[in-house]
Amino acid sequence: MINFEEELKKFKPSLEIEDVEDIIYNQDLDDMSDVLLKMLKEAKGTETASDLKRTK
Amino acid sequence: MKCYRCGAELDKSGVCPSCGTDVRLYKKTVCLSNVFYNEGLEKAGVRDMTGAVATLRQALKLDKNNIDARNLLGLIYFETGEVVAALSEWVISKNLRPEDNLADRYMDMVKNSPSQLDNINQTIKKFNIALNYCHQDGLDLAVIQLKKVLSLNPGFIKAHLLLALLYLNGGNWDRAKIEAQKALKLDSGNVMAKRYLKEADSMLLPGESGKLVSDIAASESDDVIRYNSGNEMIIQPVKKSAITRSGSIWGIVLGAVLGVAAACFLILPQRIQSINNANQAKITQISEESDAKSAQIKDYEQQIGNLKTQIDDLQTRVTDYEGVDSTSAAMNALMAAANVYLSDSSDIEGMTAAMENLDLNAISDSVSPQFTGLYDTLMELVGSDLAVSYYNAGYDAYKSEDYETAIANLSKAYQYDNTNVNTLYYLANSYKANGDIDNAKATYDAVITNFPDTQSAASAQTKLAEINNSGN
Repeated sequence: MINFEEELKKFKPSLEIEDVEDIIYNQDLDDMSDVLLKMLKEAKGTETASDLKRTK
Repeated sequence: MKCYRCGAELDKSGVCPSCGTDVRLYKKTVCLSNVFYNEGLEKAGVRDMTGAVATLRQALKLDKNNIDARNLLGLIYFETGEVVAALSEWVISKNLRPEDNLADRYMDMVKNSPSQLDNINQTIKKFNIALNYCHQDGLDLAVIQLKKVLSLNPGFIKAHLLLALLYLNGGNWDRAKIEAQKALKLDSGNVMAKRYLKEADSMLLPGESGKLVSDIAASESDDVIRYNSGNEMIIQPVKKSAITRSGSIWGIVLGAVLGVAAACFLILPQRIQSINNANQAKITQISEESDAKSAQIKDYEQQIGNLKTQIDDLQTRVTDYEGVDSTSAAMNALMAAANVYLSDSSDIEGMTAAMENLDLNAISDSVSPQFTGLYDTLMELVGSDLAVSYYNAGYDAYKSEDYETAIANLSKAYQYDNTNVNTLYYLANSYKANGDIDNAKATYDAVITNFPDTQSAASAQTKLAEINNSGN
């Protein structure tokens, strides 16, 4: 048996035309390549820090 | 394919020719993104919109530059009524690849039809209002609003689903099923629609007694059995006994009686009241008219009274003038008679003719003494001759039974000579013979009184007794 109240909660208001701009700006566009880049940056950062420690 | 790090064009090797970055993993993700795109395209081809959206979003997570996947995702959103989401995907797509992009066409299609855009916006707003009604327990209003939404945009899946949910909540399983089926026709992979359809079907399936589960749950007085046979819904009327049917007839009769009673107690008094009011208004109007006419009649009566007074005054004046005329005529007659006498004293006929117009009764009392004197003198001179002339004429008329003439002449004769008993006696006889009993009696009385010891008086006595005996 379907619970009306619970089902109703699943329905969200539709976005109106005026909200297009906000939606576009707030959309998370990161993809796998961005994640890779972040990982590479982090890896590089870690390497640089360990090199500096060794030099000291 | 371009290097994700420096943007240079990649070759078939696993390293970027420009920056030397290892792009093997990157190439794999791009390939995987394309695989998801193809899968999404296939799902969209069989209208599994929910599946296609999930797959295409996956493709975009792997490669945000997969323009075909993004454009297709926008198209699916547009098809399912999510126009804003569709526009946002197309705008991003256009931003990522400004040239040679299908998104241009799609956006132009929307932009070039302002009425369509307005229509879409109205649809979205109405849907949100309907959802708001649902949260405020205005379910009937929500249903009405959703029907409007679907009349404007029949492809709005969310509206179909919400309407199906409202129908399920209201126990309207048939309609819920129809709405769920419509949603599934638009999006064959929609899980929510499938769940609603299943719920509706479970309520519409025949129970152990042959009746629908929904019918058993809803009421005990349904007169049809509905069940599904394949894709067809069979609605079969339940056979009822004569007693059950007569119950419905009694219901109709009761309804009619109640209707008549309502008409008598509610409608009729109002109708009577309105008729009474109309009559009252008419009576008031007639009364006002009557008052006005009464006032007019009074006015006329007053005018009539005034006119009568005027008539009386004028009548009096006329009488006065007549009296003057009579006196004047009498004077003229007397002077004419005097003239005849002075001319020829023996012309009795001329004198008689002149004296015809002299009526002593008509002469007013205000005649001059000279007139009276002249009249008396003339009477002394010719009165007896005139009396004889009139007597002869009157007697001849009496003999010839011309009583009218006899009365006139004998009256004149008695006027000029009141000593002749025969004149008075024949005058009385003429009155009697002419039927003028009152004058006859008076004249006989005069004969008896004025000439008591004459034979005429004795005869008059007899005649008077006859008259009295005859009952007159």
